[in-house]
Parts: sequence; C-alpha cells; structure tokens
Amino acid sequence: MSYYGQGYPGPGGNAPQRHPAPGAPYGGGPVAGQYGSHYGSATQGQQYGGGAPYGSHGQPGPGAAYGGGQAPGGPYGGYGQSQRGPYSQQAPAGNIPPGVNPEAYQWFSSVDTDHSGYINGKELKQALMNSNNSTFNDETCIMMLNMFDKTKSGRVDVYGFSALWMFLQQWRAMFQQFDRDRSGSINSNEMHQALSQMGYNLSPQFIQELVNRYSAPGVNGVLQLDRFIQVCTQLQSMTQAFREKDTGMTGNVRLSYEDFLSSAVIRLM
Amino acid sequence: MAYQNQYRPPQYNNAPPDQSFLWNIFQRVDKDRSGAISDTELQQALSNGTWTPFNPVTVRSIISMFDRENKGGVNFNEFAGVWKYITDWQNIFRTYDRDNSGFIDKTELKQALTGFGYRLSDQFYNTLIEKFDRQKRGQVAFDDFIQCCIVLQRLTDVFRRYDTDQDGWIQVSYEQYLSMVFNVV
Repeated sequence: MSYYGQGYPGPGGNAPQRHPAPGAPYGGGPVAGQYGSHYGSATQGQQYGGGAPYGSHGQPGPGAAYGGGQAPGGPYGGYGQSQRGPYSQQAPAGNIPPGVNPEAYQWFSSVDTDHSGYINGKELKQALMNSNNSTFNDETCIMMLNMFDKTKSGRVDVYGFSALWMFLQQWRAMFQQFDRDRSGSINSNEMHQALSQMGYNLSPQFIQELVNRYSAPGVNGVLQLDRFIQVCTQLQSMTQAFREKDTGMTGNVRLSYEDFLSSAVIRLM
Repeated sequence: MAYQNQYRPPQYNNAPPDQSFLWNIFQRVDKDRSGAISDTELQQALSNGTWTPFNPVTVRSIISMFDRENKGGVNFNEFAGVWKYITDWQNIFRTYDRDNSGFIDKTELKQALTGFGYRLSDQFYNTLIEKFDRQKRGQVAFDDFIQCCIVLQRLTDVFRRYDTDQDGWIQVSYEQYLSMVFNVV
C-alpha cells in the first residue's frame, strides 16, 4: 500500500522507485556462497578510471520534446485513492469507474477475456504487441503488472490497469519519438540519443552492450518496445539506487557486501 | 580465491527419475503439445502450497536457467534439469520448514541461509522477508523462497567478481554498478 501514492517517478522524479523490473536471469543451480560481512580491514577496492559522474539524470535533456523531460511513469493519478464506485463487471460500457481512463477501460474490458475483473500476465501478454507483431516478453509483462499490482498477486484490477495503460502509452510515444528511422525498433545509436535526452550520461559501449544483451532472440542489436520499456525502467530504478549511495555525487561508490545486497534487493519487484 | 570453495545447500542425490516417468509428466505439463513447456504451463503445474498461483518471477527465473536457445520454454531434455532443480529446492525447503507450516519464517530463513554459508544481519533478514513475502504473512512460501535464494546467489556472485581483494567492500563507478545489478533485479 505504501508503494502507491508516491507516484512512479520518471527520470525527472525524485521519489525512490520501488518497483524495479525483473532481470533476465542467467543460469545457476541452488548454490549459495559463503560470504561473510565481517571482513576486517577497509582496504580500498580498485580505482576505476574516469569516474564520470552520471550527471544530469533527472533533468530534462536539452531540447527534449517529450513534455519537459519527464519519462513515463509520472504519477498515476488517484490510483489507490480512487473510490470504488458502483463498478461491477456487468456494468455497461459507459459506466466507467472514477479515476479510470476511458480508453483504458475499453481496453480492460476487451483484454480481461475471462471476465474475472482482473488482468493477469497471460491476458496482458496476449494483448500487447511490438511493432514487428511479436508479443511482449514475459519480463516486461511481469514488471508492469508488479508495478501496478498493489496486492502482489500478479494481476491488476481496472484501476491498476488504467495506470499501467497510461504508463505504456507514454513509453510508446517516447519509443516512436526516438525511433528516428521509423524502423519499429530502437538501435544502439537511437538508444544513446534517447538516454542522453533522458539525462543519462552513459558510454556508447555500455549502451551497445545493454542493447545487445536485451535484444530479443533473432533481432540482434535492436530493442522492440517491450524491451525498451524494460531497460529504461530498470535503468531508472538502478540509477536511483546508485544515487542514494553516491552521496558525494562523485560517480563512484564504496559499498559493503550487505549495502550492495540491500540496494538491489529493496528494488526488486 | 577463498570463496571459490563454495558451500552448497545439501544435495539430494535421489536416483534420477527414469525417462518414462519424466516423459509422462512432461506431456501432462505441455498442455498445448508444442514440445516445449512455457512459463504459463510450468506455472500451472507448480504449487507453492497455497491456492495462489506460483510466483511468475520464479517461473521465469527457472525457465531461463534451463532454456538454452532462449526460445521461451524448455524442451524435454531441459525439463529433466528443471524437474531436478525444483525437487532439490523442495527438499531443501522441507528441511528448513521445521514446523511443516508450508512457510519459512524469519528464524527458519536465517537457519537456511546460514546453512548455505551466508552471514547476514538481522536487519537484512527483515528486508528479505519484506521483499519476498508476497502473501504478506510475515513468512516466505516455497516459490518466493526459491526466488529469494536465486537473487541472493546472483548478487553475491557478482559482488564477489568485483571484490578482488576479498575484503567485503567494493568501489564501483556508476556504469559498473549498473552492470552488476542489471541482470539480477
């Protein structure tokens, strides 16, 4: 409950982001490590060159044409506070619950194929498409459901869906804006421009790796809408995590094992 | 490196189930007969001991571990690995769920993770319970327990790679930090 009402900050927001994305997991068995937190000496770790601070994340990029530099994820209205009106599943189409975006309501009604009053991951996945007609990847669907699912049950009601829908529309608009060659996907050059405009200061190499790692099988080196949303949302969340640790704004942080664990774990979905 | 001598959770060397047994299960789980088990199919086949659906994030983690060609599911050969993986976790879970409640409370979680070799503060256990207790019972169900352990293991592995002098501290740049956590959260 407390997660809601703080809004969901875009790279312009200051509120801590509490709903990170699931990552693309990699292999490994049920093996844990022996890793104590009781190490004695505070020897300095490696020094890394450069150390360019991550700069102006949070400020509108120069000339950003997307509404003052706000990435999607702005406050989702009265979600959480909106009163549940006389909404019922059998309500006529015109009877839109207060606080719910009318277009989102139409969507909800058609996407909730089993008429449960909730949209689950499967229904969401079936409803969402990239511009190459591939369905959204599981990670992004799970991530968005978790962002807007206050019950942590892996599904959203009409209020949560309305917020999710607006989040999606905002990202879609950004995606189209940054897809300069109108290819329907974002390549690493376009991603570099997009992230710069959002205020991130990341090296072309890093962005290239990010795009390569997150591109869907068979479409190497470019991001469709689903993975674009996934990468950008995770980036917001982790940048926020880093900023909280980088109190001196130096672009470098020194972290103990448990500091590191906590910074990542509290951002899990 | 000293940490390479990893403590492993107890391995249950059950005799591997025979192929026809597994094939039977595979066919029942592969509802659409596509020859691969998808997230949804595996999720429907798994139980966390309650009526709530198995954690979709855990399902995704497990599938992606065994899905070698990134095809979004596991074929029969890969399913054998999935089956063993889940069975192993089930045995571990039962070992630490000492009161057989179907949930692991904070004390039990501490015993489990300490048994795996982790040394973590009391406060951090509160964080873990809070994050992985999807059902808001103050304790962790089977599916969330697996995900908790997967996440901890990944974060620990990546920390260890950066902690070259093994003093429990790292110094990292913004991009390094992003690389560390990007694949985990």
